[in-house]
Order: sequence, then structure tokens, then C-alpha cells
Amino acid sequence: MSVLDRKLLRDFWALRGQVLTIALLIGAGVAVLVMSVSSFLSLRAAQQSFYAESRFAEVFAEVKRAPRTLLARVAEIPGVAVVEGRVGGEARVDWPGAEVPVAGRVLSLPVSGEQPALNRLRLLAGRLPEPSRHDEAAIHAAFAEAWRMRPGDEVAVILNGRRERFRIVGIAHSPEFVFTSRPGSPLPDDRGFVVLWANEEAVARAFDMQGAFTEAVLTLAPGASEAAVIAELDRVLLPWGGRGAYGRRDQPSHRFLEDELAEQRTLAVTVPLVFFGIAAFLLNVVLGRMVEAQRDQIAALKALGYPPFPIATHYAKFVAAICLLGSALGIAAGAWMGAGMLGNYRPFFRFPELPYLLPVWLPLLAAVASFAVALLGVLAALRRILRLPAAEGLRPARPSAFVGGAAGDVGRRLGARARIPLRGLLGRPLRTLLTVFGIALAVPMVVLGLFWWDAMDSMVELQFDRIERGDAFVALTDPRPARAVREMARLPGVLAAEGQRIVPVRIRAAQRSRLLAVTGLPAGAELRVPRDADLRPVPIPRDGIALSRRLAERLGVRAGDIVQVEVLEGARRVHDLPVAALVEDIIGFTALMEIGALNRLMREDDLVSHVALRVDPLAAEALWRHLAERPRVAATNVKAVWLRVFDEVIAGLVLTSAVTLTCFGIIIAVGVVYNSARVALQERGWEMASLRVLGFTRREVARILLAELAVAVLVAVPLGLVLAQWFVGLILGARDNESFDVPPAISTATFATAALVVLGAALASAVVVRRRIDRLDLVAALKARD
Amino acid sequence: MLRRTPMTTASDAAPPAGKTEATGAPPVFVARGLCKSYGSGDATVHALRDLDLDILQGEFVVLLGPSGSGKSTLLNILGGLDAPTSGRAAWRDHELTGADEAALTAYRRDHVGFVFQFYNLIPSLTARENVELVAEIARDPMRPEEALALVGLSHRLDHFPGQLSGGEQQRVAVARAIVKRPDALLCDEPTGALDVETGKLVLSAIARANREVGATTVVITHNAAIAGMADRVLRMGGGRIVATERNARRLAPEELVW
Repeated sequence: MSVLDRKLLRDFWALRGQVLTIALLIGAGVAVLVMSVSSFLSLRAAQQSFYAESRFAEVFAEVKRAPRTLLARVAEIPGVAVVEGRVGGEARVDWPGAEVPVAGRVLSLPVSGEQPALNRLRLLAGRLPEPSRHDEAAIHAAFAEAWRMRPGDEVAVILNGRRERFRIVGIAHSPEFVFTSRPGSPLPDDRGFVVLWANEEAVARAFDMQGAFTEAVLTLAPGASEAAVIAELDRVLLPWGGRGAYGRRDQPSHRFLEDELAEQRTLAVTVPLVFFGIAAFLLNVVLGRMVEAQRDQIAALKALGYPPFPIATHYAKFVAAICLLGSALGIAAGAWMGAGMLGNYRPFFRFPELPYLLPVWLPLLAAVASFAVALLGVLAALRRILRLPAAEGLRPARPSAFVGGAAGDVGRRLGARARIPLRGLLGRPLRTLLTVFGIALAVPMVVLGLFWWDAMDSMVELQFDRIERGDAFVALTDPRPARAVREMARLPGVLAAEGQRIVPVRIRAAQRSRLLAVTGLPAGAELRVPRDADLRPVPIPRDGIALSRRLAERLGVRAGDIVQVEVLEGARRVHDLPVAALVEDIIGFTALMEIGALNRLMREDDLVSHVALRVDPLAAEALWRHLAERPRVAATNVKAVWLRVFDEVIAGLVLTSAVTLTCFGIIIAVGVVYNSARVALQERGWEMASLRVLGFTRREVARILLAELAVAVLVAVPLGLVLAQWFVGLILGARDNESFDVPPAISTATFATAALVVLGAALASAVVVRRRIDRLDLVAALKARD
Repeated sequence: MLRRTPMTTASDAAPPAGKTEATGAPPVFVARGLCKSYGSGDATVHALRDLDLDILQGEFVVLLGPSGSGKSTLLNILGGLDAPTSGRAAWRDHELTGADEAALTAYRRDHVGFVFQFYNLIPSLTARENVELVAEIARDPMRPEEALALVGLSHRLDHFPGQLSGGEQQRVAVARAIVKRPDALLCDEPTGALDVETGKLVLSAIARANREVGATTVVITHNAAIAGMADRVLRMGGGRIVATERNARRLAPEELVW
């Protein structure tokens, strides 16, 4: 081992406090990178393998009723590879344990009793229903797990108003239901939503669809145009009540998964980038300063005749050792957190397998990136020192600014003790700026961790306190005359009822289009109150259509513009409607019309398809039971249940990220403050020891040394709060998620917590350094500095 | 606080090498049987061996000796910076041995002025401010300008240490030491880093402080020429005082030759 390497080992040990805090900084950057990229890749891999294995369809179409013979014509459409028809329908499950009616879907399986050609099921337990048995069904794993069902259990299902009993023979995953939720909800509700697969004959009989299909699913031949196939498919299905075919992009489960993957990809890039940027900056500052503190040693080596290269190599090795330690910590933590993050996804996304993948290149990339960044910081400092004449390097660095000027004039009226830190801050403005900025960067980390709680709170507040003011939302099996609302209003426990008409449409503006539902609301509706950006109620327009601001942005339209609305029900008419107003929404995309105007558009009478209810809480449970029994009720969504699910699902996710990022914020604050203080002590220990000899107490000396940092921290924290706001805007701006919006709302409590965490971390670092000040060697002050 | 102890010097029989013969002034520093060793076993270094010493009020003492003779260790103990391994040291009625850190800090703050070999000025403070720094924590300081005038630096008040020569910096250090009107002025090789002429300027500043502030002054040096300006010269070697000389007449620093 060369002498320089021995020096390296001893320095490493002597500076262990600094080494460790810097390694933790690197580790935090590496951990974020490893965590977000690996969890993204794992999710993507699980999706791809499940889609391939189960032959997930690429185009989906629903019809009112089409003869099976039509499938042959569909198969002939150029570009179609495989087509399969099936019968699907709404199902309500009468499940004893559920407090509100369980909504769901039932889908037919081929007569043969084989797996379907497309959208094959992956059985976790049991088998598919026998072809001859009409009372057997397979059930989706999410519901089965939520209620701990096993093959052999029975369920009572209301299909088309008739009660049927099915024996569960298999528990399955399906590529169509990787994400399952009640329609329109951005959160899974495993206990309240179910998918069942039964023999085709059983399902067809229940819905009076013998010899017919209601859904066609198909795959495309290589190179086929999805748009062309969809257009032709729509043409073929139109006479049979086609509701508009759509590609995977609009398949609800797939879209939600893609949105989440897109979100993850954004976060996997932006958050580590922000974090790595911060870590790089801090490494530059901290390591640079550490090398600066060894300038006399470097100059001595140079004076002894060492050429620059071995000196640079020596410090590069030092950095490499720190990076190695940091990367090892970071990779371990990142893999652990990534696996944990993936665990958080399991309740959202039902894959048969969701293994955690950590490709080898990822930790390597992280380690190399951290080393490159750290080396940059060190080499810059090293270059400065090596360029000095050896003799000058051997002298302690004298703050050049102390020849008067601004720094000289500052604080004439203050005491001499206050002037030392003040001039320290102003005499090296660049260093001060870097320190302040470094500490400030700790604040956004904590805010980024905590702000999701605020965002979720404000989402819930906007959507469920301000906009949707009802307690429950009832979907009818099919549109009914308006008197159905009056009937429902008379049910015991119902305080108010408002009818709504919801119609699937495709909205087009120039080349852009979106599939969504238009909601028809009565003028003066009180259970659903559209609001503008200032949260003022927006009156429901008598003419035209109100669109959500987010949708309008994506369609590229403004109030007053004309959009084309194709109704995907009944006669499939196309209308040009003016955008009458823009409204706020959080979940999905809103399009609103006055209910009378919507019905006129449909050339239908006064019909409602949904009813919003305000309910007496004391009578609620009885009401839910009653609604479950009513034949024309397809599903009942209860706000309180939804909010509880929301809390359960989101709380875990948010807590993980809050804890992680808060830890990182602490690491940054400690990293910068502790290292600044240690370097200050290294540079000025002699001065401080001299003051102790002159009769200054430990407390006074610590105050003089730490005051500089205290000022830096006090400036940094407000700056950090501003940066936090900016970072949150940056990350949310990079999001592209149509399923739901995250408002950039940061509460005062979050800001206060972040500020306190950083102040606390700074204080703790100061206390540690203060103990070193107490141990200053006074006798050394009388000797020459070495 | 320092423990106050009754004076015991009178009961000692034969005055040892470092002790003064009976004169009018009372002793302010008293050391008895001081030993200081570092390390253990074969590696033990004895910096002081059973050293006795009295220094009188207002006396100007030069401690002379080569490196390793123990003079710095002795000064450190007298200044409350270091503790002896055995024996005792006292300042007037304050026991220095066994005193805690806070008491020693208070002792240095209230009674002692230090001058270092390498000045140890705060680079970010001007000459005036460096002096003011100590004035701020002293009980009855003179004005910083007054202290700087005593060392002949009235014209350099607002210069930073980086703008001053070594001799000027050391005179600022002397001004900083005397601004509190110390009872004792302890100087560790004050001219060690200076040339002859500059050294003389610094020494006159110290001599003037000794005279005008009345501070008991101890200067350690390995430069025998400085001995001429002392009341008493203690030669040290091997951790002991090996010889004591009393100057019949103190030379002015300008008269010193080296």
C-alpha cells in the first residue's frame, strides 16, 4: 500500500462524520433513482407479460344486441386478426357482509368451456365453469381476496332484475380488470365491485341474448390501422346499436394503468433528477470545501515534488470511496423502497404476478452518475488549489475581501463579536450563497413528501364537498321517465333526490377527440354544483355544453368555441355545440348540459339514468338495503364508503413517500449544516481556540462560529419554502394523467413542518459541532498552525 | 470559581531557585512542586520536574531556554490553559490546579492578557475591532484606541490584519492583551516570528504595558538577548529552573542587541 493510500485510509477515518453525511447524501440520490426507476420497470414488465400471456384485446366494442353471425363479417374487416363476441351485463351481488350494494359485471365464457381466444383468464384457484353447468362462475381475484372467498362458495347475483345463484368454481385475474373500480372512480373498491365469468348460455339466458352478443373484442393484424378498423367496425355494428368502438387507450383498466405508468415515468425522471441535482450540487459544495480545507496538505505534496496527477488520483480515490459507500447504502435502500412501493401498487393493480425487478444496469448507472458528479465537485476545488504557487498554498487561505469595502463597512455599529460571523458571510459571498442554497434545498424534499396529504385533502374537498354534494349516487339499469326521481324521493331516509341523464359521447375538436360521458343536470341542481376556477357555482347552461377546464385544455378549445358531440347511444347523432362555460373537476373529465337540452338532443322524452340522493344518516343503512332490492337499480355509490376507501388506499401510499422524503430532507439539512460547520471549525479552529485563550467562554466561541450558519439557515428556510412551491409546480406540471388531477395545494402546516424539520436537523448538527468546539485544544493555539 | 487558599510562601524555609528573595512586593504567581509529564511507560516525557516558583506583583520575568526545556508548559499552566500532573499553582488567592474549565476561563478573562507567537488575530476584524473584541468581555477595559495608542498604532486603527506587517500585527495583539488592564501579561515567543527591529518595537510595547498598566509580565523566549529587559531571568532546562538572574538595571528594548 502506497503512503498516499495510507493517508487516504486515515483521512477517511478521521473525517468519518463528514464522510458519512456525504455518503448519505449520495445514498439518498441513488436510492430515489433506483426506487422510482425499478418500480416503474417492474410494473411495466408485469403489464407486458400479463397482456401477452392472456392475449389482451386491442379494440373493444359494445352493441345493444347483435347476432353472432355478424362476427364473421367483423372478422373480414381488413386489419382484424382475431375477433370474439360475448355477452356482458351489469350484475348486482347480494353479498351479506357488504354495507352497500355490490356493483359488478358479468361476462360470458365460450360455450366450449375453453378459455376465451382473447382476454384469457389466469386462474389463481379452481377451474373454469363446466360447459354444461349454468350455475357455476369464476370470480375476479380482487373481490375474492377482499371477502376471503374460496372455490365452492356461493353468491346470489341479480342479473337483469332476476336473482340467480352461482357456485364459485374459480378465482381469476383478467387483463381487462387489472385495475377494477366502480365506473368513474379513480380508486379500487375491491369490496364493492365484482366481475364474474359464467357460461355463455347462462349469461345469454339471463339477459335474453341467446344467439346474440353485446360485446366484441378483437386484436389487430400486424401493421393494421386501429383507427381504420374502429371506423369500419362502427359502420358494421351501427345498425345493431353499436355504442362506438374504442382502442386499448380508452379501455378503463388499461387507461388507468397507463396513466399511472406515465405518472411513474414522469416521477421516475423528475424526482430523481431534482434529487440528484440537489445531491450533485451539495457534493460539489461539501466535497469542494473539504478539499479546500486540505489546501495546505495539497500544497505540501506539490512542494515535495508530487506532480498534479497522483494528487488528483488520490482525491479521486477518496471520492470514489465515499461514493462507493453512498451507492451501496443507496442501492440497498432504493431496492428496499422500490419493493415497498411495488407493494403499495398491489391493491391498485391486480396482476397474477408483480415481481420486483432490479436490472443490473440501474444501480451501476446510479453509482457511476454519483461518482461523476462528486468527482466534478472535487476536481474543480483541486484545480483551484493546484494552480496556486506552492508557497501560497502553504499559507492559510486569507479571506481576500477583508480589505474594507462593503464587508468592511458592515456592522460598524454592531459589536466586534457580531461582526465576525457577519463578515464571514459577506466576505465570501459565493460560498455563503451555496450554503444557503444547499440548506434551502432540504425544505422542498420534506414538502414534496408531505404535500400529497394536502393535495388529497383539497381533491376531496373540491370534488366531494363543493361539487358533488349528494350522499349517494344511484345508477338505473336503463333510462327511466322523470317520475322515477319522485318515487325515489319518497323512499324513507331520502331527504332530496335529483335526476341526471348520463350519455356516452365522443367529443371532437379539430383533430383531437375524447370518449367520455355528458351529464345532464336540472337547472339549479343542488346535489351537483359545477364550479369555476374560483370555486364559484357556475349556472348550468341552457344552450351548449360546459366542459372541464382540463378537458378543454386537452381538446384545445376555449369558452365560445364549437365542439362536435357524437352521441354513442341510440341513433348516434352528431351535433355541433358551443362551449358555454368551463368548470373545475378533479376526477375524470366533466361535460355538462342542461338535462332538458340533452334529452332534446337525444330526441327523447324527459328521461333520467342516474339519481343523486341526499340521505338522512340515521336511515342510511336501511336505505342501502332497500335500494339493493329494487329491480331497476343497477348500482348505488355511497360517498362515505368511497371516502373511506380513499383514505385507506391513499394513506399508505402517501405515508411511505412522506416518511422517505422527510428522511431525505433531514439528510440534506444535516449534510450541509454539519459539513459547513465542520469545515468552518477546521478552517477557524485556531482562531476559535485563540479566543478561548483570550478568555472567551465555550458558549461565546460556539456562538461566534455557529452564528454564521444560523444566519444561513434562517435565510435558507424561507427560500426553501419558495423553492418547494416551485418544485411542486414543476413535478405536477410534468404529470400527464387524465384519470385525476392533483392540485398544487400546499398547506401552512406542511410548510411549517418542513421548516421545523430543517431547523431541527440544523440545530442537531450544530449541537454535534458544538461538542467539538468544547474540546478545542487551547494549547495548540499558541503554536504555529500546521 | 477558583478556590481561594491561604498564602503559604512565608513558611517555606530555603528559597529554591525560582523563588524570589524577600522584597517588598507580594508574590502573585506561586508554584510548588509542579510536575508535568506526557505519555506513559517508556514513552513518558517529563516537561516539568518538581518546579517551584514565585513571581511578584508587577515583576517583568523572562523565561529563557531551548525548545523542550519546559518554558511553554510552565506558561500554559500559569495561564490556566493546562493542568500539572502533580504539584500546585496559584494566582494570588486563586488555586489554578484542580479548577474547572469555567473557573479557568473566568480567570483568563478577568486577569490574564495573552500574546501569541503567531499573533492569532481575527482576519475579518480590523485592528481596532480585534482589540474591541476583548474589551467587550472585560470588566474595566480601556478604550481600544487608547490600547492601540500605547503600542504606537493610532494611525492603523481601521486596517485589517491582512493589511498590516507582522510587527504591526503583533503590536495589535499586545494592544488586545492589555486593553482589559490585565493583572498578568503572558507572552509566548512574542518576537519569534519577527526580525530584530520589529521585535524591538513589540518588546517596547510590552515593556510599556508592564510599566503603565502594572501588569505582572512573563515573556518566554529562546532569545537570550531579550533577558536584558527583565527584572529577573529564569533559565530553564530539562523541566527545571536551572538558574535565576536578577538584572540590576532593566535595559530599554532599544538597547538590546541580538
